[in-house]
Amino acid sequence: MVNHLANIADPLPPAIRIDRLCFAYQAKPALHGVTLDLPARQVTAFIGPSGCGKTTLLRCFNRINDRIPGARITGGSIHIHGIDINRPDIDLQELRRRVGMVFQKYNPFPKSIYENVVYSLRLSGIRKRSQLDESAEAALRSAALWDEVKDRLHSSAMGLSGGQQQRLCIARAIVSQPDILLMDEPCAALDPIATLKIEELLHQLKEQFTIVIVTHNMAQATRCADHTAFMYLGKLVEFGPTLQIFQTPHDPQTLAYVTGSFG
Amino acid sequence: MHDPETLIRKGLPKGHFKDLAVRLMLGITTYCIVIIAALLFFKIIKDGVPVLFTAKAPFVDLGFLLDKNETLHVFDDAQGLRHQLPASQYSDYIKSHGEAPIYNEQTFSYSGGGIIGPIVGTALLTIGSMVLALFFGVSAAIYLSEYAKQSPFIHAVRIAILNLAGIPSIVFGLFGFSVFVLAVPVITSTPSDRSLLTLPLFIGDAVLSFQGWNSSLIAGCATLACMILPVIITASEESLRAVPQGFRDASLAMGATRWQTIRTCVLPFSMPGILTSSLLAITRVAGETAPIMFTAAVAAKDDLPWQALANPFDLLSSQVQALPYHIYTLAARIPASEYTQRAQYGSVFVFLILVATLSFGSMLLRAKLRAKLKW
Amino acid sequence: MSKTASAPHRFNKSGLSLEKAIKFFFASNAGLTIVILVLIIVFLLKEGLGFFPGYRRELEIYRIAGLEFVDLSRQNLTTHEQLASVLNRAYYAEINGKCARELKRSREAAALFNAFSDQTTATRDLILNNLTAGIDPDSEMLATLRKNHAANVQKALAKLPPTPHLTLTERTALIDSLRSRDVTAKDDPPLVATLTEQYAAAQQVQAKPLAGLRATIDAFEATGSDLSTLVSEMTTAVTATKESLQNADILEKDRKTLLAAAARAKDPAERARLMADAQASLAEQADIDGPMQSLMLRKPTCIEAHNALRQTSSEILTQLPTALSQPEAERLLRAARKAAPVFLTTLGQAPGQISQWRHDTRVPLSAAIRSFLTGKDWVTGGEWQDFYGILPLLVGSLMISMVALCLAIPAGVGAAIYINQFASGHEQSLVKPVIEFIQAIPSVVLGFIGILVFGSVLRDLSQLDSLAWVPGFPIEERLNIFTAGCLLALMSIPTIFSLAEDALNNVPSAYSEASDALGASRIQTSFRVVIPAAFSGILAAVLLGLGRVIGETMVVLLVAGNRIKIPDFSSGIGAFLQPSHTLTGIIAQELGEVPLGSVHYRALFVVGILLFTIVLGINATAHKFVSRTQH
Repeated sequence: MVNHLANIADPLPPAIRIDRLCFAYQAKPALHGVTLDLPARQVTAFIGPSGCGKTTLLRCFNRINDRIPGARITGGSIHIHGIDINRPDIDLQELRRRVGMVFQKYNPFPKSIYENVVYSLRLSGIRKRSQLDESAEAALRSAALWDEVKDRLHSSAMGLSGGQQQRLCIARAIVSQPDILLMDEPCAALDPIATLKIEELLHQLKEQFTIVIVTHNMAQATRCADHTAFMYLGKLVEFGPTLQIFQTPHDPQTLAYVTGSFG
Repeated sequence: MHDPETLIRKGLPKGHFKDLAVRLMLGITTYCIVIIAALLFFKIIKDGVPVLFTAKAPFVDLGFLLDKNETLHVFDDAQGLRHQLPASQYSDYIKSHGEAPIYNEQTFSYSGGGIIGPIVGTALLTIGSMVLALFFGVSAAIYLSEYAKQSPFIHAVRIAILNLAGIPSIVFGLFGFSVFVLAVPVITSTPSDRSLLTLPLFIGDAVLSFQGWNSSLIAGCATLACMILPVIITASEESLRAVPQGFRDASLAMGATRWQTIRTCVLPFSMPGILTSSLLAITRVAGETAPIMFTAAVAAKDDLPWQALANPFDLLSSQVQALPYHIYTLAARIPASEYTQRAQYGSVFVFLILVATLSFGSMLLRAKLRAKLKW
Repeated sequence: MSKTASAPHRFNKSGLSLEKAIKFFFASNAGLTIVILVLIIVFLLKEGLGFFPGYRRELEIYRIAGLEFVDLSRQNLTTHEQLASVLNRAYYAEINGKCARELKRSREAAALFNAFSDQTTATRDLILNNLTAGIDPDSEMLATLRKNHAANVQKALAKLPPTPHLTLTERTALIDSLRSRDVTAKDDPPLVATLTEQYAAAQQVQAKPLAGLRATIDAFEATGSDLSTLVSEMTTAVTATKESLQNADILEKDRKTLLAAAARAKDPAERARLMADAQASLAEQADIDGPMQSLMLRKPTCIEAHNALRQTSSEILTQLPTALSQPEAERLLRAARKAAPVFLTTLGQAPGQISQWRHDTRVPLSAAIRSFLTGKDWVTGGEWQDFYGILPLLVGSLMISMVALCLAIPAGVGAAIYINQFASGHEQSLVKPVIEFIQAIPSVVLGFIGILVFGSVLRDLSQLDSLAWVPGFPIEERLNIFTAGCLLALMSIPTIFSLAEDALNNVPSAYSEASDALGASRIQTSFRVVIPAAFSGILAAVLLGLGRVIGETMVVLLVAGNRIKIPDFSSGIGAFLQPSHTLTGIIAQELGEVPLGSVHYRALFVVGILLFTIVLGINATAHKFVSRTQH
């Protein structure tokens, strides 16, 4: 296996350190020994054909895979800021508050816009109105949604357009100030204009957060990601700066994929 | 950056006890229901098993299942022995013992003999109403799923189905009584006084008289069929719609007509589903009392439905005993005592076995069907 | 495909008329549902709408014949009797409360003795019969009988009821006396007799300080006698008038039937004969003026009697004691004190009503409708006057539904939440079939269980001393609103459970996934996201459960106790432990016994219409909620 660490000159310690991670859905293995360090405060894109395990890997970072009966890690480890997140005494709720997630299909709750944004604050028991208002506004501004919805914060989130709903989901994920933001094909269900807005947003957000994004769209990866990991059949094939992956990949499989020969 | 150490929790997770309490409360509620149901079954089984099963071969008290229902006579003879005899054996006893005095005689209506009459009556009512309901219900469902397009007529049919499904069974009883018992047309030469309308038929002196079918098997079947119709239609339509559209398209594309398509490519695949859900409908039909109280059921009847008939068609126009109505009679009309327990718990036990078999059968069939039919 | 002229012809639909016929056949079957619904509505209305004119006529007769006039006085008399009865109950509650120990001891001993005698009477009577018949006391037969009796005694002694208030020695003594009891003995066992005496003595002792109250009550009871005599005299008179009016109505109806038959008859001779019959049955106008005048002459006497009753009652009622020591007696006394001023006011208004009453005021149709919708009495088949007031039935139905829903909503929704959100797969596959199976239990079986098992269990439970603090305990009737409500709850739990579970299941998993990803715990996700999202579906489940409860017949018919009376709310929650009747139950109970086409028969159809409307309204609301939950 190529040592990817040598290629990266990074002042910050890696945000997520994945070591020989193996994962299986019941008897069906999905990841085979993935080893990878994700740099902090940068955007990392996972690319690869459908079913290659990129979403599975992403969902390991906040252990949302625990929801699926029979899904489990069969080997290796994930450390976030040096803490093994699969230790039995991990505070799962705290972990998920620190590792936010945005899903492929925008999924705001059937509540008002405001209630959607402050949901995770309410979960942690914050009741003070002023604090909630302040955080909500900050999150909505970060998600570039504030100007569009400030007049109708208390109307239903279901009335927003698809792109707005997805940005609302981003606002909802960042309101509790997470360290890491996971995005699972956030633009798959959106039209090009809305996609563009989300991509612009990514550039602003990486100042604050470590962003991991799964995407099918290679152009999107080149536009937004600082680093790109190419996965295939549950294995990490190649990881490096985006330009390098797309222009001079080391691995012939990567080359075949990025030039459109398969996938 | 936050302190990573906060990811590790100290002691129990936050809200652990609240979580536990909520789960415990909901769990207790759930299992309370299960326990109450279990107690109920246990009580009926405990009191019913001794009636129906015996220690000797054939292990089932066939007398209880196969004898006619009679009045029970309880008395002591001169030796202080207590006798419990159904009416027919009682008169034999009196005849054979002639002068011998008896003491403390008590009679209990409906408590002697067996329950063959109610069992047969319920079977006839169920079969009759299911035949009617399946014929009309499946036809209607075929129309709704295969032919119907958006139209005011379809809308009206759907509203009617929805509303029919919600009507209380006693209202169906009223409806059956005023329509099938008192108002539907019959062909007769001697119209009754209360006939709503008589139309001459010009064949001999026969007239079409709107005087109803009286309280009879056929009136009961018709009432029950109306009641169960929405259930059958909804279930059948669901089964029909579960057949993939591709089957129909393929058949139509090969030049088959709509009806040929339905007959060969839709009905055969949906039949198992339709029959399974009708099994559940049978449970409901067999268990209903209110709609048959005034339309078909009678508390006591000496003959089985097919006995003492002038012609076979009289079977349809005669009243029958029915198991649920029999249970109602036993529960409401006679005082509970140790001598009526056999009839009471025995009937309920037999009835419950019947219903349980049907509903378990439908549950199993449904599970099997789901596993088998996957498109 | 060729472009010949035959091509359009081959696709011409003229050959498909069979297809059309088949389609028409299926469509007509679908239309059958509409026909049935329309038939239901039409026939309910056809039978039901005739009710109001018929009832109006009955109310008219009620007025013309003067029954209404008599009822003005009779009502007050009834109130007077009720008040007296409440006072009497308070008096005895006070005495019995004070000698509660003696009462319980004597009752328990008597109950034990009765249980013993019930078991042994049969064999004992055999011996006695034979002895009186002059059989040789030493004969073999008597020996057998005695042996049987002895065995029976042993059996009876083996299962005697508990006697918590007797000491062990007393119980042993009593059982010993029963064991050695002679066949011919007629007296009560010594302990039973002693305890009865003790109780009587205690009663006497306790009655002494209450002599004043006793005298007051007696005096109060006596004051009603004048009015009572007057009412019974008037009753005889007006009943006769009513009868003649009703007969005239029947004759008139017959005459119309005869005339109609005459119009139809083809044979002139027969027509003439029918006409003659009709003429002959022409009712002579019932004489109502005469009796009415003599009734009106009684007006002054009536007013006088009322005034006198009011005068004496108000004096007597001020002599009631201010408080009693026993809680039950105190409650009754308070009820009497509350009722007394109302009674006196009504008495005060009576003279005015009596003098203003006129027999020839018209009875409008709206009076019949009002009397049906707001009437507090459902009295049928009585000799005096039939009333068809829906309130007692409606209140009964609603109270039973209330009990049922109070139990079924927490249980059904709670179980649905548990099974959908927290239970493991194994639990689901255990609980779901059980609950589904409860749904399959026929309602008549549940009613049977209620009448034979649950009612008695509840009554026995209510008689425990440790549960005496529960309001309404000990219950008097084992069949009551609460019993029926419990069983209906069991019936509606499966409906509510499965629909609510469906609603929870239909909440997209994306919601709970998002919530989990935001760091919510399991119950936070359930209670903040999933349940609110399923809320209108759950509400629909509850409403459909309510529809099922209100429409259910057999359970309430068997278990609700079938007393047509609005429960007495003065006992608070205890009102739920009283028997009642319901909309569904009254139809099931009375339809089989009423003459076709009578006012009573039609009244039952109006109840059916009401039921139909209520249930359809509830279901329509529920379906509105269901259609709102499409995610």
